[in-house]
Amino acid sequence: MSEQLNNQADIQEVPEAETDELSTIDRCLTFESAGLILYISTNNVIEIINNHSITTLPLMPPYIKGIINLRGQILPVMDIQQRMGKGPTEFTGSACIIVLDIDSVSLGIIVDSVRQVMDIDLKDVRPIPLKHQQKLLNGMVTMEDGSVFMSIDCQALAVPQ
Amino acid sequence: MDNGMEGMLDTYLFETNSLLDRLDEMLMADEKIGDFSTDDVNEIFRIMHTIKGSSAMMEFSAMAEIAHHIEDMFFYIRDKGIDSLDPQHKKELFNLMFRSEDFLRGQVEKVESGEALDTDIDSFAADINNFLKKISGAAADEPDQAPAQEAAPPASVALEHLPDDKEAVCFLHIFLEEGIGMENLRAYMIVNAVQECGIDLRYYPENMESDSSTSASIIEEGFFMAFTSEDDANKASDVLRTQNYIRSYELAAVPEPEPEPEIPVKEEPAKSAAPAAAPKPVPAPQKPAPAKQASAPPVKQNLISVSLMRLDSLQNIVGEIVITESMVTSAPELNQLSRDAYDNFMKSARQLRKLTDDLQDISMSLRMVPISGVFQKMSRIVRDMKQKLDKDVHLTLIGEDTEIDKTIVDSIQDPIMHMVRNAMDHGIEDDPAERIAAGKSPQGEIILSATHTSSEVVISIADDGQGMDPEKLLAKARDKGILTKPESEYSVKEALGLVMLPGFSTNQEVTEFSGRGVGMDVVKKNVESVGGVVSLTSEYGRGTTFTMKIPLTMAIVDGMKVTVGNSIFTIPIANIRQSLKILPEDVIRDENDNEMLELMDSFYPVVRLHQFFNIDTDVTELSDGIVMWVETSDRSFCLFVDELVGEQQVVVKPFPAFLNYFELKNSGIAGCTILGDGNISIILDIQSLHSAALENV
Repeated sequence: MSEQLNNQADIQEVPEAETDELSTIDRCLTFESAGLILYISTNNVIEIINNHSITTLPLMPPYIKGIINLRGQILPVMDIQQRMGKGPTEFTGSACIIVLDIDSVSLGIIVDSVRQVMDIDLKDVRPIPLKHQQKLLNGMVTMEDGSVFMSIDCQALAVPQ
Repeated sequence: MDNGMEGMLDTYLFETNSLLDRLDEMLMADEKIGDFSTDDVNEIFRIMHTIKGSSAMMEFSAMAEIAHHIEDMFFYIRDKGIDSLDPQHKKELFNLMFRSEDFLRGQVEKVESGEALDTDIDSFAADINNFLKKISGAAADEPDQAPAQEAAPPASVALEHLPDDKEAVCFLHIFLEEGIGMENLRAYMIVNAVQECGIDLRYYPENMESDSSTSASIIEEGFFMAFTSEDDANKASDVLRTQNYIRSYELAAVPEPEPEPEIPVKEEPAKSAAPAAAPKPVPAPQKPAPAKQASAPPVKQNLISVSLMRLDSLQNIVGEIVITESMVTSAPELNQLSRDAYDNFMKSARQLRKLTDDLQDISMSLRMVPISGVFQKMSRIVRDMKQKLDKDVHLTLIGEDTEIDKTIVDSIQDPIMHMVRNAMDHGIEDDPAERIAAGKSPQGEIILSATHTSSEVVISIADDGQGMDPEKLLAKARDKGILTKPESEYSVKEALGLVMLPGFSTNQEVTEFSGRGVGMDVVKKNVESVGGVVSLTSEYGRGTTFTMKIPLTMAIVDGMKVTVGNSIFTIPIANIRQSLKILPEDVIRDENDNEMLELMDSFYPVVRLHQFFNIDTDVTELSDGIVMWVETSDRSFCLFVDELVGEQQVVVKPFPAFLNYFELKNSGIAGCTILGDGNISIILDIQSLHSAALENV
């Protein structure tokens, strides 16, 4: 009896192990900004913080909000809504800063709200048709409930405009 | 076991390298005057002896053997006196010594990189031996250098009784340390050292240099030096103070009527002075070698090596302590204390502040090293190139003792070397006739100088050679295809700037020293990596000057906090001349409505920080806020801010890499700092603020 159960478990595990090896599934943090649902790989996410006072830096493009003191480290903060060419993010109760590490460049981005961490199969991600107009987004994926999530291009984020 | 060897190897490398550095320094200095001083001969002997010993211990037999041969050679030279060598031999000796130094250095480098050492050293060893034979053959006929003494025959050297010397006015009675061995020779060495200072003396027992049986009486009763004047005796006792192995000595005057027991005038236990001039921590040579240890500056032997990483973490911790200290002393809870308690607290706080200040100063100074090491290497390079290129060049060093941060030294050594090579190779004319025709002295000159200003080190390399021809530079750049605009639009300054571009090398042929096309652009990159700038001026036909300006590491700055709107800025106190309140009628305006102030009979422009940085503030009238009169090296102007907050020491934090793209450094911002309450303050860079706000309008 117990053997049977084990066998069943084995059978179930095998396909999962296979997908792991191909590693097309990525754990992603989803969040909202500029009316879109965006996601970013958790490999790049360090933490989520809120209520930090931002010190503005003079002579900066508007989307660079300034710097914050994150436990003794200086962290630049960017408003990705402004980076995408829209107005500044309004600071509501749910707005927060996602701290990212992109190839050892530390960066905070301000978003409207954070949703959840979920698995996204990279095989389902399709390119965005309007290629030349996209600066920050590099893919889109339709979820089971029909909503569309967009992928943020980390490399583009780490390079100032 | 392995670990032990590792540690020993580290010590060995450090020690051998510093000995070779010392050797290099001496050789350079001696070659300049074309002669070895006797002290240096002894020192070289000692260095070689130490290298021989420690290399043999580490089983680096090639090094041990070469060092042994050199030691032999210098043993002979020391024995006969350097003066027994004729100038030609001395010249050969210098070349041989430089070769030996290079050989030893090469071996040390191999040890460092874990390669096998050379085993084929026979020909080099033979060279040294041949030279030794040559000079010993030449000097064989020389009379013995030992000065002949015409003093009266010695009376019996009885304890407490002065030798019988009719001309002597006073005696020095000297006791050596116990158990040093070869007492007679050591005593003779001491006598020799005194004689070298030009002091006329006789010594007893008279035959001590040749008769080893006098050792016993020297141990028992000491030995005497006789002087014909008291002045000489005093001078001699000064010399004795620098000598080793002396236990004590007394000055005794000859009593007029009849010899009596000596009257001690001065007694000085030499032991207390000995540790200061203690020999290097190596097995002390038991030969009669080190008689003149005094020639080595005593400070050298009090050095230890510390890894830079530890210094860095020390620096960081000290930085944090400084911040924490001001957090504690400005804590709002302190206001709840009673007046007395508060006073007491502040008293202790001030004391703490003083101590942390000291701690900080020391931790900063730990990392500072004089630039002389780098300069010394340059004189060696100039020397070698002089011979190879057959150019007569004199290198002048200015400000060798300028101290700069160790990491900066490391990163500017290659740039300086490159520029010196350039100056030798391209700068100075090949033919002295050209120089004479141009009205210059036939000997070329390269001036290497280092100076401090309040915030940066300025290092310049100037030659009085042919200078750079902007036309030629442009033509060359055109050939290389690195021009970015029509040739006619290049100003002289821009044409000179072409030299710094990658792939630009003006020498037609690649020489051993320069002309590989990786040149000034690498220099520029290296210097920029430590936050410095390279600039260049050149007058065709008159010479070229490269100037490097490198900021001192100012990890901690005394700053004045000011507010503009909601932002807090920190102005380095070193830049502040005065802060003032002004009246509306003090302001002078030009036709463009630029504001100026008259201060101490001069006019200074006013930069409104809120306007320059686009910050919203309620304080827009000059008379409502504060005017900070600031200055840097040669620029002075006024900054208009809202309010003064107070003075604070701050730790400069660089901006995150992401923000480098925005070139904050060019817009008047040096970095930022975290204040005691966790807020961030932006540190202003007055120099670049001036350029950004007033020059590039």
